[in-house]
Amino acid sequence: MHACHNYDQVSSRREFLGRLGLGLGGLALSSLVNPAAGFQTQFVPKAKRIIYLFQSGGPSQFELFDYKPRVNAMHGQELPESVRRGQRLTGMTGFQNALPLARSHFDFAQHGESGAWVSELMPYTAQIADELCFVKSMYTEAINHDPAITFFLTGSQIAGRPSFGSWLSYGLGTENQDLPAFCVLITKNKGGQPLYARLWGNGFLPSSHQGVQFRSGRDPVLYLNDPEGLSADQRRMQLNRLRELHELKQSDSGWQQIESRIAQYEMAYRMQTSVPEVTDLSDEPDYIFDLYGEAAREPGTYAANCLLARRLAERGVRFIQLFHQGWDHHGGLPAGIRTQSSETDQPSAALVQDLRQRGMLEDTLVIWGGEFGRTNYCQGRLTDEDYGRDHHPRCFTLWMAGGGVRAGFTYGETDELGYNIVRDPVHVHDLQATLLHLLGIDHERLTFRHQGRRYRLTDVHGELMTRLVA
Amino acid sequence: MMSRLLLLAAGAALCLSLNAGCSRAPEVSFNEDIRPILNERCAACHGGIRRQGDLSLLFRHEAIAEAESGLRAVVPFKPAESELIRRVSHSNPEERMPQQDAPLAPEDITKLRKWIKNGAPWEDHWAYVAPVRPELPKVSESDWAQQDLDYFVMARLDAEQLEPTTQADCATLVRRATLDLTGLAPTPEHSGRVCNGDAEFEAYVDTLLASPAFGERWAAMWLDLARYADSKGYEKDIGRTIWRYRDYVIDAFNSDMPFDQFTVEQLAGDLLPDPTESQLIATAFHRNSMTNTEGGTDNEEFRVAAVVDRVNTTWEVWQGTSFACVQCHGHPYDPFVHEDYYKFFAFFNSTADRDQDDEYPTLPQFAAEHLADGEALEQQLSEIEASMLELMTEDALVGERQMWETRLDEPEIIGRVGGMLQAEVKRIAATSETERDQAQRWLLDYVYSGITDDDRLIALREEQSKVLKQIRALSKVETPIMRELPFKRRTHVFERGNFLLKGTQVAADVPASLPALDEATPQDRLSMANWIVSPENPLTARVTVNRFWAQLFGQGIVESLEDFGTQGYAPSHPDLLDFLAVSFMEDHDWSVKSFLRSVVLSATYQQSSDVTPELLERDPRNILLARGPRFRLSAEQIRDQALFVSGLLSPKMYGPSVMPPQPEGLWNNPYDPSRWVASEGDDRYRRGLYTYWRRTVPYPSMATFDSPSREFCVSRRVRTNTPLQALVSLNDPVYVEAARALAKRASVADSPVDAAYTLAMGSPPEIGIRDILQGLYENALTQYSDASLAVAQDEPAEAAALTVVANAILNLDAFLTKE
Repeated sequence: MHACHNYDQVSSRREFLGRLGLGLGGLALSSLVNPAAGFQTQFVPKAKRIIYLFQSGGPSQFELFDYKPRVNAMHGQELPESVRRGQRLTGMTGFQNALPLARSHFDFAQHGESGAWVSELMPYTAQIADELCFVKSMYTEAINHDPAITFFLTGSQIAGRPSFGSWLSYGLGTENQDLPAFCVLITKNKGGQPLYARLWGNGFLPSSHQGVQFRSGRDPVLYLNDPEGLSADQRRMQLNRLRELHELKQSDSGWQQIESRIAQYEMAYRMQTSVPEVTDLSDEPDYIFDLYGEAAREPGTYAANCLLARRLAERGVRFIQLFHQGWDHHGGLPAGIRTQSSETDQPSAALVQDLRQRGMLEDTLVIWGGEFGRTNYCQGRLTDEDYGRDHHPRCFTLWMAGGGVRAGFTYGETDELGYNIVRDPVHVHDLQATLLHLLGIDHERLTFRHQGRRYRLTDVHGELMTRLVA
Repeated sequence: MMSRLLLLAAGAALCLSLNAGCSRAPEVSFNEDIRPILNERCAACHGGIRRQGDLSLLFRHEAIAEAESGLRAVVPFKPAESELIRRVSHSNPEERMPQQDAPLAPEDITKLRKWIKNGAPWEDHWAYVAPVRPELPKVSESDWAQQDLDYFVMARLDAEQLEPTTQADCATLVRRATLDLTGLAPTPEHSGRVCNGDAEFEAYVDTLLASPAFGERWAAMWLDLARYADSKGYEKDIGRTIWRYRDYVIDAFNSDMPFDQFTVEQLAGDLLPDPTESQLIATAFHRNSMTNTEGGTDNEEFRVAAVVDRVNTTWEVWQGTSFACVQCHGHPYDPFVHEDYYKFFAFFNSTADRDQDDEYPTLPQFAAEHLADGEALEQQLSEIEASMLELMTEDALVGERQMWETRLDEPEIIGRVGGMLQAEVKRIAATSETERDQAQRWLLDYVYSGITDDDRLIALREEQSKVLKQIRALSKVETPIMRELPFKRRTHVFERGNFLLKGTQVAADVPASLPALDEATPQDRLSMANWIVSPENPLTARVTVNRFWAQLFGQGIVESLEDFGTQGYAPSHPDLLDFLAVSFMEDHDWSVKSFLRSVVLSATYQQSSDVTPELLERDPRNILLARGPRFRLSAEQIRDQALFVSGLLSPKMYGPSVMPPQPEGLWNNPYDPSRWVASEGDDRYRRGLYTYWRRTVPYPSMATFDSPSREFCVSRRVRTNTPLQALVSLNDPVYVEAARALAKRASVADSPVDAAYTLAMGSPPEIGIRDILQGLYENALTQYSDASLAVAQDEPAEAAALTVVANAILNLDAFLTKE
């Protein structure tokens, strides 16, 4: 699954060199021609891999992490124009007559030595508050789901760029020759915004860098299983013969690339063993299921995916992207967010603890967050028991753990109504730059030439947030 | 160009002798010596984007002008007075340029000095100068050449002291040409006839060019450029009916429509005089841009996004230029300024579509079963409308009409004009009658016919709406097309590319650095399209022949098919490229078939692709063309081969896209109830280009073999080699079914193993291959015959064993590759 290894064309190496000449001018040639090495990192990396727990739909910061007593006090009052300052609203509340502030239905308390504010919806997360780095001042440019999630995961609102994981696969290669460098796990049977292949797509990078979706059915990876009627022995025998045919062809034609064809079939064969092995959770002891919750026993749940993420991380997978849909609470927020939290709180916290107890948290970066935040005012009818919140790009909360980020730390601050950022804003590109930095990559130097220019994850923006780094 | 970059990056040792740039004359050349230095070392701060110190080195007039400091970077003939020289050779790192970077190499500084001393002559980048037919070069072995193009290849081989490789063996050559021209493998019969001498290769090539499969194969290539898909893109990505455009492309290639006409029809078919339905369907080319139907989005934002996409696509497809840069700022390296983008944008800015869910405007065509009824009703409608127009020119109405027009600005009148028209009518009201243009008068006709109180017109209007209603009730295929609005939208420069930040207003035009538009014609999309295919346009023919070349040889003469600018790759054979471009226009009259025929019949194309270790080391990527092409087939071709050789492929052409079986549960968009319902019968086995193409959920086996999502125009598919591909061709039920069918086809032969191979490859296996395949068959047969090992009981052991062999054959590198 590595860049230079698997290009079909001999071309790759020269292109690779040419691109590097443009992109990472200062690198030693030796690190480039060694196909196993991938790009050399520019700093000593703090993290080797990422587990990204993407909460799709835009979780409300008001009910989870951004405690706003002032909003509670002003419950039902109109959002002052002096706060909104003409900001663009979505077509969903843009025509609403009133924009009444809505208090959180849930109570908050401070936790750990760090004193982080966490609501009662997230009791397990609250327990590991001292492991976490909260960013309260995330902001984005997009106000609708599709552009926002595309922006978060590819650095551009417009589809077509490589996804974060693809960049890492391209930049760092894989540590495991039997598994893809970039794996995608989606909680099964969830509604909400659609998730599409482009969010783990390779864009203009070679398709060997695309994320491989693991599925909870019979075929954890598409077409992994041999057809019915063909035993594993027969497949092995068939592949042996295929290999002989390829070797014969190579000696007749002088065509070197047949070697990579042979390697391709061998790795496919190894994946047929390694993927079922990694996805089979039955060898996990009971205390692990206690930690992640009983739901982890059922394949395809968020809890099972968190556990699977840890197993993939143990085997050296570079980027593990989870998606959990259903956070888009335009209405019925209290009930909706309660469900979402109960599905994700324990497994997310368990993952961090599990990595910690295995000594893997130091070099595994865990990220929890969505594509944007939600409004402090109510969408639809505001009652004591029920309300909704619209999309809000100007501020939202995200947390990270491990991988060289500052633990027990809260960064950035929103105003007392939770509408604007008043201190230390972190743009999506800043976050991306910082995450790449933690992996040892200068975000301005991980580039790929396409259509006449160099592209990078952070486009032409992004600033390293040094204070987030431990 | 590329070799220069390598030179800078990795030292002189890497300067392969593959590039003209390496063997340069002692005199300093701007294009070869100076521009690379400026682009590589200076342009990031002093180019089209950032003009630090108010200095840009993109154009000569900028380089020699006074910068912010009052000094001039370049003073022609006077290196000593040139600030550029002083700064790059300064000993103090604080003063030295480039700032905070390695200093320029001494030899580069020497070159800059020499160049300025010569007067700092500027040269246009080669691609912006129209090609001129080069003389055929003298070559060492003139017998080798079969076509004029061969002389250019041979001359280069002579210069490199290389010899061409001998011709490929007949079966390989037949397979190569058949795959290239039709996208399908040859049948053993065809291959046999040519190779036994019963048919001439040249005549066989003509049958391939005449085959309907030709259009399907080349349409598949064009559809990547057209970003053709069966869905609208963005979040919901719901279905779109635009397959008639795909069929148009197939027909255009099959009927050998001249490429200039093909271009004009797609870009501006609606503006041609009395456009045919086919010419209107052609304009769906630019309706393949995405439509955003997500709740709460701003239609204007995504209308603009579609126009931007049309501009970028037009530039990439026909001009090989990454114009997208210029959307936000001046081009950093190429001679295009920010305004150029919006001038070009203006050509596309006045079409009627505006990100509507219904894809308005569309060209409805009656479904086959309603054709007769529909045409009768249309006839009726046109008669009614003719009467309406006639009435409106009657004296009585003309008077009323004139009265009405003078009162346009009165609320009572304007209030009756609906919706988006109101603003335009207000604008017309503010224009004095004599200054109104035809489109404005036409618009008033239209508005007036809708609101007048004249009884006769009212009656006709009622009749009109009755017939319209009947027409609407008939089921139709509605293809989104381009339609020009009766008025022009104003076009502004968008500051930093943001559609909310409107800058100066601009009028439609082409970039000043390229030949001018014909001023005698209206400055509209049609003139722009004609400009693209005019002989003066330096890019179109080069870009186009380069694309076709790349399809046959695996890479273009300019490798960056999408970028002929200064940051793209330099052509490996500049004269060959110019020869092909001029020849395409003049000798072949833009005929794609005639052009491809000349390439396929060339000695260059017909070389064997086998390679010696020496040649492989010397030229690993076959840039010099000392051997024949060899590369993996495309996603569509791999699927088509498997179905074709196993006898499953349906020859059915055209029509709505089909849904061959795919794994359950891939389509799970909660906003869209549509489901992937596996097609029945023949439609399961259609060629890959008929497979339903949903942008956000690509058909898995195609995406695995590097097909793009088609959200945007893609010139080059990067060929990769991943284990997921092996899993597809080994285990995807489509391929397993093909293996079974191939085995069944072969089982009737005396030697089924040989037969299976022959069906797949077009010619029988050599002895070594046969032995291995036979060994595989016997191993498998033993296993299936042993009851204790048998897995499948429902088929005879022979059939099961032969399927294992067929499955292996369909996974042979040779089968997946054009050799």
